Amino acid sequence: MSMYALSDTDVIVVIGSGAGGGTLAHELCKRGAQVVLLESGKQLAPTDYVNDEWAGYEMLSWLDKRTASGNWRVGADHPEAPVWHCETVGGTTAHWSGCTYRLQAHEFQPLTTYGPMAGSSLIDWPVTLAEMAPYYDAAEQKMNVAGTQGRPPLPANNNYAVMYWGAKRLGLTEVSTGRHAINAVPGDGRPASLQDGFTITGDKHGARWSTANVEIPRALATGRLELRSRSRAVRIEHEDAGRACAVVYADAAGTLQRQSARAVVLAANCVESSRLLLHSHSARFPNGLANGWGQVGRHYMRHVVQTVWSIFDEPVHMHRGEIMAGLVADFAPHDPARGFNGGYYIELNSMGLPTLAMLMEPGWWGRDFASVMERYAHIAGLYMTGEDMPYADNRITLRSDETDRFGVPVANVHYDDHANDLAMRNHGYKQMAAIHRAAGARRCIETPAYPATHNMGSNRMSAKAEDGVVDGWGRAHEVPNLFVADGSQFSSSGAANPTLTIVALAIRQAEAMARSMAAGDL
Amino acid sequence: MAREAAATSPLRAFKDPALPLPEACDDERVWLAALRCIPADRAATLLSVARTLCPHDALPDAVYRRVVLQIDRACEGQPQALGWVTESVAALDAHFGLPFAGLSESYRVTALKALAGMPAFRFLQRATVRFLYDDLAVWQAFGYEGASYPHGGYVDRGFNDLAWLPPVPLEPLR
Repeated sequence: MSMYALSDTDVIVVIGSGAGGGTLAHELCKRGAQVVLLESGKQLAPTDYVNDEWAGYEMLSWLDKRTASGNWRVGADHPEAPVWHCETVGGTTAHWSGCTYRLQAHEFQPLTTYGPMAGSSLIDWPVTLAEMAPYYDAAEQKMNVAGTQGRPPLPANNNYAVMYWGAKRLGLTEVSTGRHAINAVPGDGRPASLQDGFTITGDKHGARWSTANVEIPRALATGRLELRSRSRAVRIEHEDAGRACAVVYADAAGTLQRQSARAVVLAANCVESSRLLLHSHSARFPNGLANGWGQVGRHYMRHVVQTVWSIFDEPVHMHRGEIMAGLVADFAPHDPARGFNGGYYIELNSMGLPTLAMLMEPGWWGRDFASVMERYAHIAGLYMTGEDMPYADNRITLRSDETDRFGVPVANVHYDDHANDLAMRNHGYKQMAAIHRAAGARRCIETPAYPATHNMGSNRMSAKAEDGVVDGWGRAHEVPNLFVADGSQFSSSGAANPTLTIVALAIRQAEAMARSMAAGDL
Repeated sequence: MAREAAATSPLRAFKDPALPLPEACDDERVWLAALRCIPADRAATLLSVARTLCPHDALPDAVYRRVVLQIDRACEGQPQALGWVTESVAALDAHFGLPFAGLSESYRVTALKALAGMPAFRFLQRATVRFLYDDLAVWQAFGYEGASYPHGGYVDRGFNDLAWLPPVPLEPLR
């Protein structure tokens, strides 16, 4: 592995090694750039991962405290963990379920499509689906996405059979096992899925793409990447002219180090990326780096996400097989006749008994609860992810009364559900329950959202500097060598799971950065 | 306690071999002696609390004892959590002026409902759910098979064996 000096001013420092940062680091190294990749978590090997929901959660998750406010149910159920992402080499790609769906054309132009919505801070993206299409192609290729470009989709599992027949009996047509960065057959040096049902605790088999098993090893092979794990970024510094010049981080021993930088990329997952910018205030940027317009941390989105679990007379054994290998796309288009703007996907969902018991209805106890748990083997699950609208006051802020062990203020996540979100939630619950009832469900249980894994918007892209934090290439409007590469750059949420778009944007961003470096302006 | 749960149903549940196994708790006296910070009388109340919060009549006491043992471990060095245990046990025993563990089920439910909304109740309810449904014997009883990778996943062990609906047609390549 390359080793760069702390004083080396030629390196690009990327903070976070997940879908955005890990991919960008590889794409930059391929183009000749020198990269230092700071990852707060540890390097883990596939043999370290476990097939155990709680042990896996504790091994992979970012467990530092946050606080929550707002009228969302998550705030009451999970007041100190409203957001769920990973802290390990590979970031949340160590945990994800592999869903790889593109945003739809209208989802890049939500303001144009939906029109202004009362109270919402909706804007169009400064990029279109047509511009993104080749990068989506490249992302699917890079991730060897099953169900795309001639690759076979994941096979139908038991939970999918229930979804499929329920949806077909309702007359729905856009029903498939979906598209996943999980091998249905061997490919790109990785084996086919063993259907072990544990992608969320690390995928010991390695059938699923992650930055830990694909992008980072390939970036290291270029000889231009230095990966520093257990390195927690705490502050970004800038020089007098306003260009980012260094990242201060705590190393494995907790000692503060200062890595000089030619450019800095934030890819630490939404909350942490905004938190770092807000904490990196200075005389020139008194409200936080790149925050002259007061937009850092605002417009936080987390999708309209929820689950329906249903009990059937016969066994389902939903825990067997890939967790989210099922898709109903009939409700993805924008159809204002439904009474809300935007659309949603219904996807397969399964959980083991440990997390199902904790998340089905947090706080539920007694005979009825226990009787449902006893039916575990007969339960099937459906999940929805839909477009939530941006609001300026749904935001990440820093607490003034509490800091972490590095002296960085604890983040608060504020989120209020708004009318459009509630109308979509209502529609989605009814559709998911209808699918299960059509397949023979005896009882459908509507589960609330759990801590957000789709975190978006808090450092958003905007055509106009006053509307957001970064431009259409993820470059900060106010700091020309500062970039954002995670979901916080999304202008709007769309309906789809965000990872494929994050990866596609990272490929495109690396191209743009390489062009800027060649032109001598980065 | 065996890593592989006793085969009382056709399914067999497994814990990941990398993880430690909890103590068996089959013997009440051994269980009480293993507790480090919760005294015996409170442990008996907590056992009853766990059975009332998550009543599975067919599960043996050993399963609920393991829950209390893990609550005990979670309270070690955590004065706030231990305070919640002390506070809730006192409130539950005081509710009817009779020991909680000796109450009928409806009275136990009533006493617990009176605590709802308190941090102490939230801690006990969450901890009971957290530990009970992470227990291998409970997995076995309710049909969750647990760790599968050491056994080759489910690709040849029933990931698509659902037979009460028609077969799913093969999807065309896209």
